[in-house]
Amino acid sequence: MKNDTQFDAPRFDAPRFDAIVVGSGITGGWAAKELTEAGLTVLMVERGRNIEHQTGYETELKAPWEMPFRGQGDAALYAREYPVQMLNRHFNEFTESHFVNDAEQPYQKALGKDFDWFRSYQLGGRSLTWGRQCYRWSDYDFGANKRDGFGTDWPIRYADLAPWYDKVEEFVGVSGAAEGLAQLPDGRFLPPMELNCVEQAARERIRAKYPDRVMTIGRTANLTEARPEQGRAHCQYRSICARGCSYGAYFSTQSATLPAAKKTGRLKVVTDAQVHKVDYDAKTGRVTGVRWIDTKTGEHKVAFARVVFLNAGAFNSVHLMLNSASEAMPQGLANSSGVLGTHIMDHANTMAAMAVMPGFEGRTSFGNRPTGIVIPRFRNLETLDGEGFTRGYSFQGGALQGTWTRGKRMGGIGKAYKEELHKIGPWTMVLVVFADSMPRASNRLTLSKRTDPRGVRQLEIAFAHGKEEMAALADAHREATAMLTEAGGHVIMGFDRPGHGGTSIHEMGGARMGWDPKTSVLNRLSQAHDIPNLFVTDGAQMSSSACQNPSLTYMALTARACATAVSMLQEGVI
Amino acid sequence: MIGAKSGWNRREFGAGAALLALALGIPAAGVKLTNLDAEDQPSERQRRLIAEVSDLVIPRTDTPGAMDLGVGDFVVLALAHGLSGTRAPMASGAVTAAIEPFRRRDGSIRHLPWLERALDHAAGGDFLRYEPAERARLLAALDEAAFAQGAPPSPWTAVKGLILTGYYTSEAGGSQELRYELVPGKWEWDIPLTPDMRAFSSDWTAVDFG
Repeated sequence: MKNDTQFDAPRFDAPRFDAIVVGSGITGGWAAKELTEAGLTVLMVERGRNIEHQTGYETELKAPWEMPFRGQGDAALYAREYPVQMLNRHFNEFTESHFVNDAEQPYQKALGKDFDWFRSYQLGGRSLTWGRQCYRWSDYDFGANKRDGFGTDWPIRYADLAPWYDKVEEFVGVSGAAEGLAQLPDGRFLPPMELNCVEQAARERIRAKYPDRVMTIGRTANLTEARPEQGRAHCQYRSICARGCSYGAYFSTQSATLPAAKKTGRLKVVTDAQVHKVDYDAKTGRVTGVRWIDTKTGEHKVAFARVVFLNAGAFNSVHLMLNSASEAMPQGLANSSGVLGTHIMDHANTMAAMAVMPGFEGRTSFGNRPTGIVIPRFRNLETLDGEGFTRGYSFQGGALQGTWTRGKRMGGIGKAYKEELHKIGPWTMVLVVFADSMPRASNRLTLSKRTDPRGVRQLEIAFAHGKEEMAALADAHREATAMLTEAGGHVIMGFDRPGHGGTSIHEMGGARMGWDPKTSVLNRLSQAHDIPNLFVTDGAQMSSSACQNPSLTYMALTARACATAVSMLQEGVI
Repeated sequence: MIGAKSGWNRREFGAGAALLALALGIPAAGVKLTNLDAEDQPSERQRRLIAEVSDLVIPRTDTPGAMDLGVGDFVVLALAHGLSGTRAPMASGAVTAAIEPFRRRDGSIRHLPWLERALDHAAGGDFLRYEPAERARLLAALDEAAFAQGAPPSPWTAVKGLILTGYYTSEAGGSQELRYELVPGKWEWDIPLTPDMRAFSSDWTAVDFG
């Protein structure tokens, strides 16, 4: 902001709550649910618009021929206003309203560095558009920083989180198959979705050659059994989740945590409210509330609370803390360590290999399964066997049969060509790699001098993958090629270089957890070292990245932090 | 020569335009061809040409052909809005002498005028003069050259891709020629593939990656 004092709202009649939750995505929803269910009054502040469950999913039932651009969208509009979001593979004409308009929500990239920041500013945040993959982290992950010396040691281990994983999985509804793997602990699963015939064969052939490599079905937050008590039906196998699902079959704020929080009668939600500052009282050493701009009217508003949870999304929570610098905290909120904004991460990600899979010509499937396969990490477990990298990577992907779009790569015209495209296409299989992103001080967030259309200083992102990620992806490309070949495939393409930072949409870190207040922002309870009534429980708290999808871990950490905050409030500690 | 049996004479172009609005359910607002910038407005001849060409790519069988569904006008609209990367600059190394006259200042290609010129050139005159069989032969030759192993990039691949998009995302193309199941309701992971089975236009993963 140019000058925060000019936006001072009348403070004495501002609303008061036990807790304020900034953000309504995956973790904001959990914070609202847990805190209200524990008896607290909660204000949830969301910067984007309201989207009602079911009635708000406007394109859910549309066919391509009912859309102005047949579901492809107006590329000219996208080039002007969605140049980053349009790169997301879930972004299309059906889902465009679930992503930000880049022109209205600008950010800066450090000179010579790229970062594609995919964002969904709306009630429910990215819980409406997420990939729904749910994986526990293991002690290979929580012990990673200590083992190889990158970053700072996690102040927690798997045992601290295991009961919280249980709790959130049981509510979320995660379908998956138990495999008994130390590096990818089993959870409380709903029945798995089956592998298709090509994947089943590949699983067996790969395991025969590599006993330590297990291809299993992706563990996904799509219900394979209805949850009538939550008003959620089982998955309909449409795989159009990002449009919004009126069956409530995948986990989102709207389908699951928000109804639970609302049921308590203790939740107030404001939308179109861009929080730009957390207020800090130097006399008490506590945060007192938050300020926001009503993005519809331009009005500045404020609310007070006894405890504040930041769940704005990793980079936005850090942004808010940097922007909340005050006389008492000139480097940013809870930033006495000076590490706020540093050590950001995003999995190095690329399509490692794609193969044609002959031998299954007489077989097919019915339905659109909303998950693929996963091959959990097999590198650098008991022995450090990675060449030039000390952590892991894992593969996701699956086998599929082509449809009409394959005609775009085929010569031919006329009746014979049409008849060829009439048929279900040949089987192919894809392995996409996600590799650990090393925590580095040089990958960091700062405040830009430029402001957004509402006058708030923009975030500047400086991020680059390093040689460890390059080494991991080179190894992954070799191994993916070898495995698909072993599975009987003919590899036709593959890459060994990551996409831009942000491509994984697993951006995290910036307010890392650690033992030492001098070198970390948060303690082992997701609580700011400097400010006892401030909790940051989204991706910002991560000290390392692992190579698994992180959302389930954010949810478990949030539920745990809520229990901590509630008991501290009850004991009068905060 | 203009043949009495040419596909064009039997199917009025105006009917195609009406079908565009009706069969494709395009809302009146925003996407009428008359709303296009002057630069993106095709000549009547170009509009007729792309309708004919789309029908050569996907002709009528026991299901409608591309002309029945107004696919030509979809291609015009799609090119005007740059779908499938058609407003991205073409790598200068790939711009041949035949393509150069159709290059915009931003390096992108004016696909329709290029196609008109390429087909007329192949026809040694007016492409549309010929009988459908001869047009098909000329277009097939252009297509074969564009898709040959190691062929240089051709604007034709994008035009052909948009013809496919226009056809298979139409109601008849998506749900008669292919199968469209918005709510499969179940996952059958291994079933026999029989010769009568049609591909799905609603297999979104296959549409993206297949």
